[in-house]
Amino acid sequence: MTNLDLFEIKKSFQRDGTLICFAGPFSHSIIEELGNAVRRYLETEQVGKASMMDVFSIFIEQTQNVRNYAASKAAAGDANPEYNQGIVVIGKSDSHYQVSAGNLVETGDIGKCVALLDRLRSMDKAALKALYKERLRAEPIPGRGPGLGLIDMARKSAIPLEYLLRRIDDRYSFFSVRATV
Amino acid sequence: MESLRIPASKSTPEVAFDPASGVLAMRGESYPENSFAFFRPIITWLAEYLEKTESLVIFNVNLSYLNTGSTKSMIDILDLLEHAHKGGKKVEINWFYDVENDRALSNAEEFKDEVTLPFKIHAQTSP
Repeated sequence: MTNLDLFEIKKSFQRDGTLICFAGPFSHSIIEELGNAVRRYLETEQVGKASMMDVFSIFIEQTQNVRNYAASKAAAGDANPEYNQGIVVIGKSDSHYQVSAGNLVETGDIGKCVALLDRLRSMDKAALKALYKERLRAEPIPGRGPGLGLIDMARKSAIPLEYLLRRIDDRYSFFSVRATV
Repeated sequence: MESLRIPASKSTPEVAFDPASGVLAMRGESYPENSFAFFRPIITWLAEYLEKTESLVIFNVNLSYLNTGSTKSMIDILDLLEHAHKGGKKVEINWFYDVENDRALSNAEEFKDEVTLPFKIHAQTSP
């Protein structure tokens, strides 16, 4: 790292409404600690308990999705540590909180996830609830695969989930997902 | 049968399943790294207990947050209890929710919708 002037980074965070940002290796204990920091922060902001828990639960699903993806790659023999070097951002825009997470993915892996996101984006709350209940019993192993977590995030989000897949090279992309409470 | 006791951690609830009284209690929050691994011994214990017991089983749930992996495992627990109930065993669930979280009641109702056994939802003020 060569740039000592963190003021510029801080200024850009302020400009974008960033409240809390973490970029680095996601570990379970970092997820726990940051999750609690998010809740304490929102308590001082006097948001209702339901909104606070929605932000917290989206934060947990987002970060655990990144962890699970890195773990599934490692289990398949691809232990590139970059997979677990995610970024999570909690920001505020007008009166809404946004929870975004991004991570490195192999572009070939992400088709199913993107197709699900496109489908979720077109569904209303009742349809999302029905799909959630269906998937709750359908997926064989809990905690693996982003399906249920994304549906849960979509149910809690005030607007459809947003995502961006940014191509890095022939093999990799950077995948960002945002939910808005 | 031995009782099942698991102390709470930051991301896992306290578990106190007492075969003598039939009271099975979970309290706290549940978002473990690997919910399948956390819940597997609980589900194994419960399946064995429900096979053996002839007396009333009371499942007290006081969880202010479950991630999706934990929710899936909770459905497995409810399925086991429902199966025992349909097999003629006496099973009751008491589900406590935080009144300050207006989404918590509908969450509780979604779990209740998954079963037909006696399922009482209790309002609770957070400490």
